[in-house]
Amino acid sequence: MSENPYQTYDARILEVKDLTSREKLFTLRFLDPEVGEKFEFRPGQFVIVDIRGFGEFPISICSSPTRKGYLQLCIRKAGRMTKFIHKMKEGDIIGIRGPYGNGFPMEEMEGSNLILVAGGLGMAPLRSVLWYAIDTGKYEHIWLLYGTKAYEDILFRDEIIHLLKHGEAMNCSVKLAYEVESPSCIYLERGFSDRVCRGVVTDLFRGEEFDVEKTYALICGPPVMYKFVIRELLDRKLSPGRIYMTLERRMRCGIGKCGHCIVGTSTSIKYVCKDGPVFTYWDALSTRGLI
Amino acid sequence: MRYIKLPSENFEKFFKSLEAWGTVYAPVRKGSIYSFQEVHDPSEMALDYNRTMLPPKKFFFRPKEAILRLKNGRWEDEVEAEPMVLFGLHSCDIHGLKILDRVYLDEPADPYYKSRREKTLIIGISCMPDEYCFCKSLGTHFAMDGFDLFLHELPDGWLVRIGSVRGHEMAWENGELFEEVTDEDLANFKEFEERRANAFQKELPQEGLADMLDLAYNSPVWKKYAEICLACGNCNMVCPTCRCYEVCDRWMDAYKAVRERRYDSCFMENHGLVAGGHNFRPTRLDRFRHRYYCKSYFDPSAGYNCVGCGRCDEFCPAKIEHVKVLEEVRGSLK
Repeated sequence: MSENPYQTYDARILEVKDLTSREKLFTLRFLDPEVGEKFEFRPGQFVIVDIRGFGEFPISICSSPTRKGYLQLCIRKAGRMTKFIHKMKEGDIIGIRGPYGNGFPMEEMEGSNLILVAGGLGMAPLRSVLWYAIDTGKYEHIWLLYGTKAYEDILFRDEIIHLLKHGEAMNCSVKLAYEVESPSCIYLERGFSDRVCRGVVTDLFRGEEFDVEKTYALICGPPVMYKFVIRELLDRKLSPGRIYMTLERRMRCGIGKCGHCIVGTSTSIKYVCKDGPVFTYWDALSTRGLI
Repeated sequence: MRYIKLPSENFEKFFKSLEAWGTVYAPVRKGSIYSFQEVHDPSEMALDYNRTMLPPKKFFFRPKEAILRLKNGRWEDEVEAEPMVLFGLHSCDIHGLKILDRVYLDEPADPYYKSRREKTLIIGISCMPDEYCFCKSLGTHFAMDGFDLFLHELPDGWLVRIGSVRGHEMAWENGELFEEVTDEDLANFKEFEERRANAFQKELPQEGLADMLDLAYNSPVWKKYAEICLACGNCNMVCPTCRCYEVCDRWMDAYKAVRERRYDSCFMENHGLVAGGHNFRPTRLDRFRHRYYCKSYFDPSAGYNCVGCGRCDEFCPAKIEHVKVLEEVRGSLK
């Protein structure tokens, strides 16, 4: 392996799947089996995707480390680079380096309940946690509270609907909030009236109580979501140290050099790429500008 | 520390001997400013310089450089660095390099920076502060390490502090040029250091500074200065501890591309941009404040991210003074 941390490793696109009109799921495998073998990651970590000659961008891993042999990235068409990768096909080669960042403390949380709160694209990194938790079976109960704009925007829709139907057998309760009404949503709501509603993700907390001593919350979503979700959790007396969230910055290097993800003030400076992207709410309380 | 003396008459010979270690760069005068340039003769140097415009970081972390080259669909790197001798660094700049080392040598180390750092000898030189210097307030006015040799001016030569094994080897190979330090030399050294300590005109009181600044997050002083600031990013470019970079790929021809990085500035609007157009520091006020917080961050094991070199003041087109801003912000907390 190269000593150069900026060098990337060839990965073949095994599959490209349309998740929504804006997001595609890329399933990748490293060309060199040795690289694939050494590539171990934790839920919540991210990689830098390299399209040679066009540039690099950071993307969180959305597959679970329990599912070996491939890597999945959910990529929204948002800018020049992601527009480019959306045109790529099965069999194309891209570069990958990483994994970077700290990830969620999955071991520390073993034996506890997990509340995953996802908003929009925030579902992507939390999917890694979700399947890790289900596959390992080391967690008491898993709640997934997922807020989405419309039925068409539900990421991993098949998996979500499958879990709505059969999640309880896997110790997993899924709740879904949508903002724009559509026939499909109404159909879902009829089928799962206690778990699907029109509204925002915080509406899904209504009626939910949990044992604060045995629960961790994991949040990912657009910046505006954090404040409201955290308020719900704090109202239920969850400690700021048990609220984890994963944040987005435009990391260029991923290894704490380029400075693009620095946040904070004179008393606390954090690099989102290496001190995060997973932080506790306490980190956010003590580091201004984090959320 | 080991101390020896280099008499004035041997200076030129010693300087010439440095070429055996690598290309020698030293401060030279360029119009009204100073710059570290390749030097072959001591007469080309301006050893009484106040500060260069670009700090010595330019030798390790380049203003613009190719980090990877795309050949036949694969990235290739050229990490191997040329041996260099940086002659005449001031103490603040040596401290500046130590701060950059913490970032760029931290695992995983930046291979380009690391290779250049390992192949470069650092020779420090004593200086007299001017109206911009406030290194004494930050404890960076004297370097205890981070150099191979440090030359302190004496009336008839230089008191040399040897800071590394390589520094020792440099002195050893030219043993005949050096003398033992006498009591008179020590008296002169002490007198110079005292005179220097009293020559500082600017002071940054740092008692509780980090907390005070944090508490003054909403101070109107930030706004006042953000309105004067031109957001040109000059202060970032000339700062010995600013290390942000931006990366972009560039095609050389139809078959070859390079991945280049170049200095970036947190004053640029796109510095805090993320996917989808959201900006974490959307206003000039946010960006102005961010730079001051970044520089004033206090790491208990390593100190501030500022070495008090005065470059940001001297080269600010809006004449914003770093110490004055911090003092006013702190003062606004009543």
